[in-house]
Amino acid sequence: MQILKKQLLTLGAESAIYIVEYWGMTLALKWRPRKPYIHNEIDKLLRTSRTSRECKMLTFVRTLGVPTPAVHSVDIRNHLILMDFIEGQQFKQLVNTSSKKRITTLCHEFGKLLGIMHMSDIVHGDPTTSNAVVDMQSKMWLVDFGLAEKNATIEMKGVDMHLLRRAYETTHWALQETMLESTMEGYVEISGDDAEAVLSRADEIRERGRYH
Amino acid sequence: MSSEGKVLSNIWHMLSPVEGGIHPREASRHHSDIGPGIIKRSLEDAGVSHSDIQLVAFSRGPGLGPCLRTTATMARTLAQKLAVPLVGVNHCVAHIEIGCLESRFEDPVTVYVSGGNTQIIAFAGGRFRTFGETLDMALGNILDVFGRTIGMSFPAGPSIEHAAADGVEYHQLPYSVKGMDLSYSGMLTAAKKLHLEGVPVADICFSIQETAFGMLAEVAERAVAHTKKNEILLTGGVARNNRLTEILEGVAERHGASFHRVSPPLAGDQGAMIAWTGILQHQAGDELPISDSHVMPKWRTDEQDILWRCRF
Ligand SMILES: Nc1ncnc2c1ncn2[C@@H]1O[C@H](COP(=O)(O)OP(=O)(O)OP(=O)(O)O)[C@@H](O)[C@H]1O
Ligand SMILES: [Mg+2]
Repeated sequence: MQILKKQLLTLGAESAIYIVEYWGMTLALKWRPRKPYIHNEIDKLLRTSRTSRECKMLTFVRTLGVPTPAVHSVDIRNHLILMDFIEGQQFKQLVNTSSKKRITTLCHEFGKLLGIMHMSDIVHGDPTTSNAVVDMQSKMWLVDFGLAEKNATIEMKGVDMHLLRRAYETTHWALQETMLESTMEGYVEISGDDAEAVLSRADEIRERGRYH
Repeated sequence: MSSEGKVLSNIWHMLSPVEGGIHPREASRHHSDIGPGIIKRSLEDAGVSHSDIQLVAFSRGPGLGPCLRTTATMARTLAQKLAVPLVGVNHCVAHIEIGCLESRFEDPVTVYVSGGNTQIIAFAGGRFRTFGETLDMALGNILDVFGRTIGMSFPAGPSIEHAAADGVEYHQLPYSVKGMDLSYSGMLTAAKKLHLEGVPVADICFSIQETAFGMLAEVAERAVAHTKKNEILLTGGVARNNRLTEILEGVAERHGASFHRVSPPLAGDQGAMIAWTGILQHQAGDELPISDSHVMPKWRTDEQDILWRCRF
């Protein structure tokens, strides 16, 4: 890849995101670097499979109508993905600065997007407010599909909804009830009768890991 | 425990379960049999008399109901006899607070791994919140169960670590991370299968450690990246493992965080952590009337307002 200017946007748990200039466009470059403290074979396998999975899923869920950055190119060997840079703010950050009404609207949208994916048997795998970006037109985009999976079962969807709830609990504790409620409204709006089985499974999963 | 945080005595006794794990009734018998003796010995050890005791703290949960009730009864009796306040402590919170006392950490991401727990906990919005946890079995339990199938004695963690040191070949095992949660049961099944296939024990132990600890490191790392905290505390019985420590040190280094592994006497379950947390709680004005002092076997970490940490 021929990249001219590079600027680090974030250092996440498994990747670094750079903003790059590429043929006159501003794009995001996601790089999964080696982790020397993880066994080399595991590390390599994870970086490779997640890079490939992320590319496929970003592209696939777009066809369902879930806004995701378009993938421009991928370099599996070096664990790189070049995609559209979404100019905007992390949903997580927005929650701290927005009115309750705006937050409710955004949560509703977040729920709808998850509902759309679940109806096609796709789970996101890490549905937190860090992994949604809201652009200047208030449009919500989903990112970070390295843990996404196809052919999802009720159990996998239940885990997704459990993770979402926990993200609200740990990160948006003061607003968690309102946020959860509007997210569920959006989710149910899309998934209708299918929602019940998933949501009751999510409750069950929540209790499972706990000390007994 | 002194109110300045000095451990005067920390006597413990662990029930070694026979085949099939711990039975609640057997365990509570164990508690009531040896509890009074331990209290007596710890007073002697600490060189203090009954009249020096100013506060009685007990573990109120989470845990096995019968065991919690047995020790709660002892604590109530003691508090009433001595006419001192009673404080009910959350077991998981106590693990974190004793670790903070030892490390002088202020606000860590805590990786709490034991036979019954695998949790990533951090303080946020007035409470300790579970950011990630196992969706099925606890890490310590996985090690013990696998150890038992290959004939190691309980607890098997140390034997597995020992065997893993001779492992050379990595055998791929299911790696299952879901956001900040993880799942170990698939890995256990696959490891048992490798054993049936005749793969050397050292290699299986090595592969289990690399896989299980790798998963744990990933969720811990996700919590650190997410909370932007700059301290990582490793506690619980499995904190003894050197390979796990090494991996988490790597995580800390990558994120510019400090790392501390709680020393073995304070990392496993013991009384000093309950006492110390009781002191912190009492200093913040907490006291439990005997009439309200029922135990809470399912007490979740995030259900308690952590009044003594409101400065964060
Ligand atoms: N295409 C993009 N356009 C704009 N911002 C992005 C884009 N991709 C990622 N980001 C931002 O960078 C952050 C990290 O990206 P991402 O979640 O993909 O990395 P990660 O390392 O997998 O994260 P995690 O820490 O959750 O494992 C996102 O939370 C988002 O704010
Ligand atoms: Mg992310």
